[in-house]
Amino acid sequence: MNQAPDNSEKDAYAEKIRALSREDRRVILKTLRERIHHDFAAQLQTCAHCGLCADACHYYIKDKNPCNIPAHKLGLIAGVFKTEFDSIGRKLSGFVGGRRLSNDLIYEWGDDLFGRCSLCGRCAINCTMGINIPYIIRAARGAMASAGLVPPGLQSTVDTAIEKGNNMGIEKADWLETVEWLEEDLQQDVDDPAARLPIDLKGAEKLYTINPREAMFFPLSISAAGKVFYAAGESWTFSSANFDVTNYGLYNGDDEAAGIMSGRLLESVRELECRELILAECGHGFNSNRWEAPEWLSLKYGFPVRSIIELIEEYIRTGRIRLDPSKNTKRVTLHDPCNLVRLGGIIETQRFVLKKSVSDFVEMTPNREQNYCCGGGGGQLAMTRFAERRIRVGELKAEQIRATGAEIVVTPCHNCIDQLMELNKHYKLNVEIKTVAEMVADALILDD
Amino acid sequence: MESILKILAAVSAGLTLSVLIGQIVRTLGFGRLPLHSPPHGSGSRGILYAFGQGMMPWEKESARKHLITYTAGFGYHFGIFSGLLYLALVVVSGFAPPYAAMFVIRVLMAAGLVFGIGLLIKRLGVSAMRSISCPDDYTANILVDLFLMLALLDSFGLPVRVPLLIESIFMILYIPVGKIRHCFFFFYSRILFGFFYGRRGVFPHPRTSERDVK
Repeated sequence: MNQAPDNSEKDAYAEKIRALSREDRRVILKTLRERIHHDFAAQLQTCAHCGLCADACHYYIKDKNPCNIPAHKLGLIAGVFKTEFDSIGRKLSGFVGGRRLSNDLIYEWGDDLFGRCSLCGRCAINCTMGINIPYIIRAARGAMASAGLVPPGLQSTVDTAIEKGNNMGIEKADWLETVEWLEEDLQQDVDDPAARLPIDLKGAEKLYTINPREAMFFPLSISAAGKVFYAAGESWTFSSANFDVTNYGLYNGDDEAAGIMSGRLLESVRELECRELILAECGHGFNSNRWEAPEWLSLKYGFPVRSIIELIEEYIRTGRIRLDPSKNTKRVTLHDPCNLVRLGGIIETQRFVLKKSVSDFVEMTPNREQNYCCGGGGGQLAMTRFAERRIRVGELKAEQIRATGAEIVVTPCHNCIDQLMELNKHYKLNVEIKTVAEMVADALILDD
Repeated sequence: MESILKILAAVSAGLTLSVLIGQIVRTLGFGRLPLHSPPHGSGSRGILYAFGQGMMPWEKESARKHLITYTAGFGYHFGIFSGLLYLALVVVSGFAPPYAAMFVIRVLMAAGLVFGIGLLIKRLGVSAMRSISCPDDYTANILVDLFLMLALLDSFGLPVRVPLLIESIFMILYIPVGKIRHCFFFFYSRILFGFFYGRRGVFPHPRTSERDVK
């Protein structure tokens, strides 16, 4: 459906694909084959093209381009599977929807699998057969990655994280300085000079991670987490070296790079002799480090990996913190991050915490595992070539928010926050966007 | 002639079953990776959900939004299974089901035929459906619809036994070739679905009362 643009188009990415050799295509196929295990192989033979997935996808709901239908996107991969890895499919290729991996098809992969999918998984839970479409698409993205065909913005995010230790390229000195002044702020806020944002505290119970964007643009969310830990009397620490919860390897499909990034957090937990890894409010960071990293690294961690919102729930239930919801009187709604909720299984926790923290909570419709993706996942925020699409499909989320009448949108994910901030501006929603911890911090009752 | 065709139908069924089992074995041959992350929920409960509650329209938005298509799909498959049961009775011979059972089989086959034709018309008429379809999709539907039509006519005693058996042989042999292989792979994929989401604690849903803040 998509054809590689003609020679007049100055698109380095398209040019790179056009120049692929047979050997390059062989590398892609080899990686794809390595990434297909029995589960994906079964699912690639299951799609009956019923089309019921179409209206589950926020891309298709907002843009009726057939390329946005999840079955089409899956078909781009299933076609290659049939032609290359299925004996009957190979003989009847065109008849059963098989396709050879040509440069034109690779361009379609680039445009549709990277540019028309946020790996949100809403299609999968609405698929009649239950096909795990986002994970199969991720495998194909990984095959593209093996040939250096990840769209530049996304790949550079991964490269920066690998090279610098975090995806924003924050230098260690800057990180330490940020924590230092945030600690001073915390001491003033809680009126306690002993309040700490500890770094490299060996033997601390919990290692806490952040999304580097917090350090650069949203320091209040770090302060909020610090204040909650302070109120709970938690034994915790940051790592000076490995503090990045994000893992864009989940999005570019490169398991090796993803393993390196998550492995660093594992290393820090061990070095600092912590007993638990606590993940900042980051949907894909949660999916990566809670669910995928042990598979990427082929090992059992031997310690729990939890989201900070699970920890906050525990604090509330055990009375370690006390909250006064009347301190947050504005109407609040919740955006469910796909990787935390639909793919992560953290569904009721954030609701419990918010209902204890705010006095006027209202759900979006639909919500929980059926919630729509904001449009920022799947690496979309990093791929500028698809930015216009991202904002267009985000209209669905904007409509959901507007319908709630909320003044504050809370989401436990910094990727989602970035997208929601853009949607807020573009669709003139006039809402504040906050993390769960920020709401909790505002509702805290601190003992005198 | 009829006897030979019955034998051929039975042989083709055996052959198809062998090929399908071979395809499953080959699929398993793609290997599996051990899981290392600790579960948050129950894989087995997820599998039960996948084959029960998880198929219900009130659980699945896509089914709710496309209730007619979803119902047609269910009806089509019930009709097909009834048709295959009828074919088995024809091939085995000598066994005449009670009138009431035969009535139910006829109703299901007739409904299946109507739904099958309806789904074919939808595939042909809706551009989005055409865009995701390949020749196999149309062929599979037509072969099955024709089978249901002939089986239905045969059940009323019309002289279509030979065409029914010939068509059945073609249809049965076609199963592993294209999309109809999903008759096996559906169960495979649904188990995987249930296990994945069950293990992650996404499905089954907590009951409504459990969702409320205590």
